[in-house]
Amino acid sequence: MKTLDSVKKRSAVVQVFKQMICIAMVIMVILPILLTLFASLKTKGDMVTTSPLLLPKHITFENFKKVFGDKYLLIGFKNTAIILVVSIIFNIILGSLTAYIIERFEFRFKKFIFALFFVGMLVPTFVTEIARFKIINGIGLYRTVGAPILIYVASDLMQLYIYRQFLSGIPVTLDESALLDGCGYFQLFIRIIFPLLAPATATVAIIKAITIINDMYIPYLYMPGNNQRTLTTFLMDYANAQQGSWQTLAAGIIVIMLPTILLYVFFQRYILAGVTAGAVKE
Amino acid sequence: MNSLAVKRRRFILTALIIPVTLLICFVVFPAFDLIRMSFTDWDGLSSSSNFVKLENYISMFKNKDLWQSLGNNAVYFFVHLLMIPVELAFAVLLNSKLRAAKFYKTMVFLPYIINGVAISYAFSYFFSPVNGAFDNLLEAVRLGMLKQSWLSDPKIVNFVLAFVSLWRFSGYHIVLFTAALQSVNRDMIEAATLDGANAWQMFRYIQTPSIMLMVDFILFDNIRGAMQVFDIPFVMTAGGPGYASSTFTLYTIKTAFTFSNFGLASAMAVAIMAIIILIYLVQNKLIHGIILKEDKHDENA
Repeated sequence: MKTLDSVKKRSAVVQVFKQMICIAMVIMVILPILLTLFASLKTKGDMVTTSPLLLPKHITFENFKKVFGDKYLLIGFKNTAIILVVSIIFNIILGSLTAYIIERFEFRFKKFIFALFFVGMLVPTFVTEIARFKIINGIGLYRTVGAPILIYVASDLMQLYIYRQFLSGIPVTLDESALLDGCGYFQLFIRIIFPLLAPATATVAIIKAITIINDMYIPYLYMPGNNQRTLTTFLMDYANAQQGSWQTLAAGIIVIMLPTILLYVFFQRYILAGVTAGAVKE
Repeated sequence: MNSLAVKRRRFILTALIIPVTLLICFVVFPAFDLIRMSFTDWDGLSSSSNFVKLENYISMFKNKDLWQSLGNNAVYFFVHLLMIPVELAFAVLLNSKLRAAKFYKTMVFLPYIINGVAISYAFSYFFSPVNGAFDNLLEAVRLGMLKQSWLSDPKIVNFVLAFVSLWRFSGYHIVLFTAALQSVNRDMIEAATLDGANAWQMFRYIQTPSIMLMVDFILFDNIRGAMQVFDIPFVMTAGGPGYASSTFTLYTIKTAFTFSNFGLASAMAVAIMAIIILIYLVQNKLIHGIILKEDKHDENA
C-alpha cells in the first residue's frame, strides 16, 4: 500500500509540473496579444501614465471607433472577400479534380506532371515574383484583384495533399461500379467523388481563407493603390499613418487579427487536419 | 471498350489542362526565367536588356551587405534548429496524460493562425524603447538592468526577430510532431508496456523511428523558412538599422523592386533556389542514412 501511495504522490507532482510548463506556454502566447488589447483600450494620456502591463482605470473605445471609421477598412474587407471567395472556388474545383486524377489514373505523362508539381514545391515563394511580375503586368492584371487571385490559384499546391489524403480513403470499387453502370467520368466525379470529399473541401476552404487573409506580400506588390487595399495591407497603411500613436495602431492590430482568430475558434478541427496533411508525404 | 479509353483520355486531358497550364505559366516558367534574367542587366522597365555573362553573380558574391543578410538568415536557422528538440519534447508532453491537453493544443497553435503583419506590429509595440511592455516586464521581475534597445541594437536585433519567428512558427512544428506521435501504432505501445519498457525506452525505440519522417519534413521546412524570412523584418525593422536585420530574401526583393536591378535580383533568387535544393538533397541523404541505420539496429536486436 505504501508504495502505491508514493507512486500516486509522484505522479501528482509530475502532473503539477506539466501543468506549470503548459501554463507558462499559454502566458507566452497570450501576452503580446493581451498587452496590445490593453493598449487599444487606453487614451493617449493613459499610455504615458499607466504601465503597459495594466489596464487603464477607465477603458475607452475611441481607438476602435477610429479604425472602424476609416473608409479604407471597408474597402480592404471587400477586396479581401472577393479575392478569398474566387480563389477558394477555383482552388477547390481544380485541386479536387487534379488530385483525383493523380491519385486514381495511370497515364503517359504522369511522371512529367509530377515533376512539374515538384518544381512548384521547390520554387521559393517571395523571390519568384521578380519574374512573375513581368507576366502579370503583361496580361494587364497589375493593380487588379485578378493578380492575387491568379497567383493563389496557380501557385499554392497545398490543396493537392489534403485531397489526395482523403481520396486514398475512398474505395476504388466505387468508381468501377459507377463506370459499369454507364456513368461518365465527369458525372462520376461530380455526383459521387466530389460529395464524398466534403470534409477535405471544408479543410481546404478554411486553410486557404486563413492563408489569403494573412498574406501581405502579394497584395502589397500587385495592388499598391489606395482603393486596392486588402485587410492586411490596410493595416500597413494605417500603421504608417499612426506613426508613434500606439493606442490607435493597437486597435487596428486587434481588428485585423480577429477574422482568422474567429475562423480558428470555430473550425479548429479542420485546420489541424489540414496542416498535418500537408506534411505527411508518402 | 475502345470508346471508354477515349472517354478516359478526354477526361484526363480536360481536367488537367487548366491547372497544368497555370502551373507552367506562373510557377515553372518564372523559375526558369529567373535563371535567364540572372545573366542580363534588365531594369524591370525597358523592353530590351543586355546579356552580361556572369557579371551579376560576381557582384553578388562581392556584395558585403548581402553576405551580412545571409548571416542573419543563419541566426533564424540556428535559433529554430535549437528549438526542434524542445518542440518535440512539448509534443510528447501534450500527448501524455495531461489535463486540459486539448486546450493547450489549441493555444500552442494559435500564433500560426494569427495575421503575421498584425503580430509583427504587436511585437514592435511589445519591444518598443519608450515605456515598452517587455522592459516593464523585466523591471517587474527586478531584471531592469537587462533593458536594451531591442530593435535598434545591431547585435541583438536579429535574435529578437528570430524570437518573434519562433513565437509564430513553433506551434506548427509542435502540432506536426503531435500528429506523428499519435500515428505510432497503439498495439506496439501496449506490447512494449507489457514487456516493461520505461518511458525513455518507449521514446527511443518505439516513438523515435516513427517520427523520423516528421523530423525530416520539419528540418526541410526550417531551411526553406529560414532562407525566406521576409515579413517579420520587413514590417518590424525594414531590415535596419542599416542592413543589420536584413535577410537574403528582403535584400533580393529590395534589389528588384526598390533599386530596379532585376538582373542582379534574379541571380540572388537563383542562389536561394540553389541553396534550398542543395540542402534538401544533402539532408535527404543524411536522414535516410540515419533511418537505414535504425533499421539495421532493429534487426540486430
